[in-house]
Amino acid sequence: MTPVFAEVNVEAVVIFGLVVAITLGITYWASKRVRSATDCWAAGRGISGPQNGFAIAGDYMSAASFLGIAGLIFLYGFDGFLYSVGFLVAFLTVLFLLAERMRNAGKFTIADVLSFRLRERPARVAAATGTLAVAAFYLIAQMVGAGALIQALVGIDYNLAILLTGVFMLVYVVFGGMIATTWVQIIKAVMLMAGAIGLSILVMNRVGWNPVELFNRAEAQAGGGSFSLAPGALYTNPVDTVSLGLALVLGTAGLPHILMRFFTVPDAKAARSSVLWAVILIGAFYIMTTALGFGARAFLGEAGVEAAGAGANLAAPNLAQFLGGGAGTFGGDALLAIIAAIAFATILAVVAGLVISASGAVAHDLWSNVVRKGADSEHEEVLVARIAAVAIGAISIAIAIGGGKDLNVSFMVGLAFAVAASANFPALVLALGWRRFNTVGAVTGVAVGTFSSIFLVLISPKVWPGPDSEGGLLPFYDLANPGIVSIPLGFLACWAGTMLSREHGNERSFHELYVRSETGLGAEAAPAASPGPQRAGTRVPTSA
Amino acid sequence: MAVPAGGQVRIDWEAVERAPEFQELVRRRRRFVAPATAFFLVWYLGFIVLAGYAPGFMGESIYEGFTVGYLIALTQFVMVWWLAAWYIRRSDRELDPLRAAAAAQAQRDVDRQRADHAARFSAGEEAGR
Repeated sequence: MTPVFAEVNVEAVVIFGLVVAITLGITYWASKRVRSATDCWAAGRGISGPQNGFAIAGDYMSAASFLGIAGLIFLYGFDGFLYSVGFLVAFLTVLFLLAERMRNAGKFTIADVLSFRLRERPARVAAATGTLAVAAFYLIAQMVGAGALIQALVGIDYNLAILLTGVFMLVYVVFGGMIATTWVQIIKAVMLMAGAIGLSILVMNRVGWNPVELFNRAEAQAGGGSFSLAPGALYTNPVDTVSLGLALVLGTAGLPHILMRFFTVPDAKAARSSVLWAVILIGAFYIMTTALGFGARAFLGEAGVEAAGAGANLAAPNLAQFLGGGAGTFGGDALLAIIAAIAFATILAVVAGLVISASGAVAHDLWSNVVRKGADSEHEEVLVARIAAVAIGAISIAIAIGGGKDLNVSFMVGLAFAVAASANFPALVLALGWRRFNTVGAVTGVAVGTFSSIFLVLISPKVWPGPDSEGGLLPFYDLANPGIVSIPLGFLACWAGTMLSREHGNERSFHELYVRSETGLGAEAAPAASPGPQRAGTRVPTSA
Repeated sequence: MAVPAGGQVRIDWEAVERAPEFQELVRRRRRFVAPATAFFLVWYLGFIVLAGYAPGFMGESIYEGFTVGYLIALTQFVMVWWLAAWYIRRSDRELDPLRAAAAAQAQRDVDRQRADHAARFSAGEEAGR
């Protein structure tokens, strides 16, 4: 048995401590400002557009995109960069189809928008199911990744690392609500950008600021491995590539923790400007993954593959160590420690966002509106949210520790995106845009989207019959990414459920949803503290 | 423009929806969003399909190892920034005034109802004397 603190990286622990101290300080400050449910889930709607842009970037760019994509580019070259492109383009789907209309029509959760004109309880149960499924897969993936990474980078035992991550995540959410979560995400986005810029400068400096030189050096280091400047190294089946692309570009628009961020700004104008800030940051970051991934290949080479660990997640930290002067030097260890701390902050910000969205689904949707039918007090709702957050956190910690490193992280993230794209996205878009859409359609759509994604991933060759197998349940189905099948199935189920049921009576409230989502009339305003003329003016009775 | 919250006034959402300001708002937003969405989906999915089905073409070097695929990938970044900035500029300048106009129309509706309500209330008081 390995000791709990085997070869602890002291510099890393010091910087970790600093990150934790700052974020806990913010949580203490925020905890005194969390009084209402609006503070708890929507940060009092007092987050500005640019602030929310940073927070979206911090909420969105997980360790999977920072370390994972750098690792994929290091291993496979161009195919890894496909993720970068897909993750960014996805924000156009969010901006054009959902951001402003969500802000105008919703309150705290995506279920608010879905249940606006559909029958309240079934619609909320459906939306909460989609939210919880996505949050659960994503959360467990992040926790398992966190444990493995912190163990490798800092030398803290896997289980202890998960426990620490889980406890800090819960402290932010339970005491500081969305206010603390937002600022943790903003700080993380700044740290992540600074780290990526720093590493990119060091990489580009070594290749004489010539990207072509970087590509050539990377290719020269391919060493007979899978690395290639051309596509086809990661996914040999073109249908799989397209399927992945679809899930990325539509899945983001169904991620509850991202959509929830749009409720934290004062109005739709701030919601759309926050998307612009987010794409500037996220785009710049993903362009820099080129320098990180190709740089790792150029300088670490095929010889560095083994040291980079599973999925080459350690390619970027190892690159940092190399650029700082190598292992054992002060510069190398310091850079490694900084990158480790950034990875830690990255994970904390994402898991906090996921837990708060899941607690919203449990407390605001299931408890307050389905079980108590709106009869509970706001105080009760916030209390239930805190209990739910602790329960969700405890379950995810238990699964991450119990399931351990055997859980395939990339498959869990892929599953989260597939469910988001196949269940949440069709229901939301149709609820906002299709007059005829009804409750039966929404419920069947979410159910079919969720279960087809899970089923298709379970029978995929990489998962069936065991971890990293090459089998697959059905001989004619060999896709790793289910999107190309499950997304059309989700839309089809929404349509079929709607057309086959006799339910009609909600056209009337569609008029209201339609007008309100497009104009912002009657939108949830920022509370009294900031009664701008426009905000006060849009306060009209919420229901006819 | 303050409207008291409460159940005594109803907004006729269908009337707001029929109003020319709202129709113009929806028409103009759609006129931008529909082609822009079609464009970015085609451009992005075209890139993905090429990556899947034409790896040879995408791996072709344009200039000493700078590949066709990487160039098209970079155009995706430019496209996202450009379309997002364009949409936001357009929303601020063109769509927000229309939103305000549609809101004002609803406001007039509410004001009229409140005036009616007040008139009825004072009429009731008269009758009670």
